[in-house]
Amino acid sequence: MNEATSSNGEGMNNEERLLELAKNKPEGISNEQIKQCMPNLLLEELAIIINKCLKNGSLELFKTKDKLLYKYKDSSKKNIVRGSDNEEKIVYKIIEEAGNKGIWIRDIRFKSNLNMTQLNKVLKSLETKKIIKAVKSVSASKKKVYMLYDLEADSSVTGGAWYQDQDFESEFVDVLSQQCHRYLRQKWDDANNMGGGPLLARNRSYATANDVHKFISELGISKVSLSVDDIESILYTVVLDNNAERIVASNGSFLYRAVNKFMSTPGLVKTTCGICPIANRCADTGLINPQAF
Amino acid sequence: MSVQYGKVISLILLERFGPVVEKVGAYLFKYGTTPLLYIKKSTNLPLSKVKESLCILIKYRLVTFQANRNENLANYTLQHDRILLMLRYPKYINLIKKKFGNECEMIVEEILQRSYWTASEVIMKVIERLKKDHNKVVTILSLREKFLTLLRAQYLGRLPYSQDDKPVPTLVITEIDHNTPPNIDPKQISLVQSNKATVESLPDNGIYWTINFDRFHQDMRDKLIVNAFTKRFDENGGEFVRLLLQQMYIRTTPWAEVSNPVPIVEIRDIVRKQATHQHLLAFFDQYVNVLEQDSTNLIRKAGDASGGSFQIYLKETFTQFAWETVEQIVLEKFDSKAARIFRLVKSKQYIEPDQIQQLAMIPAKEAKRISYQLLEENFLQVQELKKSSSNGPNKCFTLFYVDLEQIVRMILELCYKTLFNIMTRKNHERFVHKRIIDKKQRVDTIIMGMRAQGAAEEQLADIEEMITPPEREILQKIELTMKKLNSVELEIDETIFLIQMYLVYK
Repeated sequence: MNEATSSNGEGMNNEERLLELAKNKPEGISNEQIKQCMPNLLLEELAIIINKCLKNGSLELFKTKDKLLYKYKDSSKKNIVRGSDNEEKIVYKIIEEAGNKGIWIRDIRFKSNLNMTQLNKVLKSLETKKIIKAVKSVSASKKKVYMLYDLEADSSVTGGAWYQDQDFESEFVDVLSQQCHRYLRQKWDDANNMGGGPLLARNRSYATANDVHKFISELGISKVSLSVDDIESILYTVVLDNNAERIVASNGSFLYRAVNKFMSTPGLVKTTCGICPIANRCADTGLINPQAF
Repeated sequence: MSVQYGKVISLILLERFGPVVEKVGAYLFKYGTTPLLYIKKSTNLPLSKVKESLCILIKYRLVTFQANRNENLANYTLQHDRILLMLRYPKYINLIKKKFGNECEMIVEEILQRSYWTASEVIMKVIERLKKDHNKVVTILSLREKFLTLLRAQYLGRLPYSQDDKPVPTLVITEIDHNTPPNIDPKQISLVQSNKATVESLPDNGIYWTINFDRFHQDMRDKLIVNAFTKRFDENGGEFVRLLLQQMYIRTTPWAEVSNPVPIVEIRDIVRKQATHQHLLAFFDQYVNVLEQDSTNLIRKAGDASGGSFQIYLKETFTQFAWETVEQIVLEKFDSKAARIFRLVKSKQYIEPDQIQQLAMIPAKEAKRISYQLLEENFLQVQELKKSSSNGPNKCFTLFYVDLEQIVRMILELCYKTLFNIMTRKNHERFVHKRIIDKKQRVDTIIMGMRAQGAAEEQLADIEEMITPPEREILQKIELTMKKLNSVELEIDETIFLIQMYLVYK
């Protein structure tokens, strides 16, 4: 009795030690390594412990180059799969491997070798159990990818801050772009009003993306939190609109500054013909002609 | 040279010289250099008429001639670019008025109207006009000074003349001719004025002067550059560039692509002497710095000798201006998103459609629509890269790029088309309301006649009432439309000028 409890306690101890060992080596441990670390453990006992761990899923078995490797697996996740059948386990594993990028249903089918109806059933049951979720990808509107329920989808799938429910929020981008331009323009005006010569004014009017980020955050126009990188890409659109210029600062980051254009609106587009969408179909005869407008 | 261009030229000729000259001009435009009899045959006009039209065109320097191989026949060539310049006359006159004042304006105006004239006769005419219109008396001597100023500044040039006595003379002009001022004798002029001597007795009879358009264009170009720099930087920056250009002429031929280095000390001295731009003087070094370090890189430092010398890159300046103009046109014609895509493609040179929507932050569908719309309107071009398809799927990349020169030429065409449309519209308005306009003219002449006879105010009012209120309203409307169309015509000419400058430097 006493012996039994002690051996039992030892067994527990050994199991914990083994798992600890496996945890420290995420790439896996081999039989030899286990022996080195736990020399007083009998091979039979080890076999029992490993079998037990493999059964409840806290260890995984891998085979590389004719060597058996044991890998630790987080048991908190595994708990969800408890009570599921083998198909669900396999599908779960495939989805888990895909990480936060998600995996397409066709790829699951190829990897799991399940047929379509069966797979659909499995996916549905996993979805209702809130183990996995389906996320619509922005790159292809009809393509759904599956990933674990508690994962945050990658920005390549959701499109980052600029997407809401797979729709690009162009108005949001426009407003931000306007505000960024306004900030730069304000900075430029302030710098000019301070006086002290054009060089000083120019140097004062440069703003980093961090400055603009702070300004936008304080404005509170954005519901989602924007990163500095997001602001960089917004500022780039301001540069593309020819309202600002971008230079590289000495530390490698970008500096932005509002600039004026050289040219005012050319005379051509002040005329009706300059902006007429059907100007190239216009002639002195026919329905579209200068006499008829 | 296009159909549209030909149409504009025909309209200008028609407006200024009438249908016969227009027919001859249009024929010459279409067929290039041709001898007299060909023109007669194809236009079906009597020989005398053709001759007369050619005379008019030659007088206005719109047609040039050259001897055929047998030297007894002349081949006529239409100078179509000169015809287009006729639309710019108001601008030339305005330019001179701003720079030299009223008297010089009149001199230029008279010469423009006649194409060429002798110095003495111009002076006589201007004196007469000033007396009549402004009740102002100016001396011959002061006008002579004005004329010589224009000559020295090269706004006027000597008309080429023939030296040998051949059936088809070749017109020549030498450097000396350009630089010898005419002999203007005030005494003789006053004798001619009081009809005591004939015009032929003037010492400079037969020495004709004409407008040197190139000089005007140079001024207009400089003004364009200065205005642009003023807009981008501020007034002081513009002033700096103006002085830089002014100093450039001392060392460089006017149409060189890059100015020779101008020492900065010189410009500083001028600013100090002028004393108009205190701010520029106070922060002179800073302004130089800012202009030099601008991202467009149009003004560059050439060397450190004598306090540094600077060059202005005129060719690149106009390339930059052309880019901006095209961008603005895209902006106005489409929208800001299209302009953004256009500039993105420009900055990346070659770009894939996927990248466009990512970098321009435009939804995929819209980005696609806009870029293909720009492609359809020829603002963007597509380059397809096909991977060899011997085996495997056929892979194809689509890359967008911009061809500035092609766009610029397209816009120039559009300018001509717009010009044509505006002129046609003007004629159309005139045609539709011909009756009312004629009536107004008749009434006006009657009133003028009666006023000259000393008629009472009541009588005048009676006649003025012949135009009913609704008619008056229509007349006002026409006047407004005409005004608008005229000003738009000048605006388009500005765009044409800019584009032509770009093409000159190209």
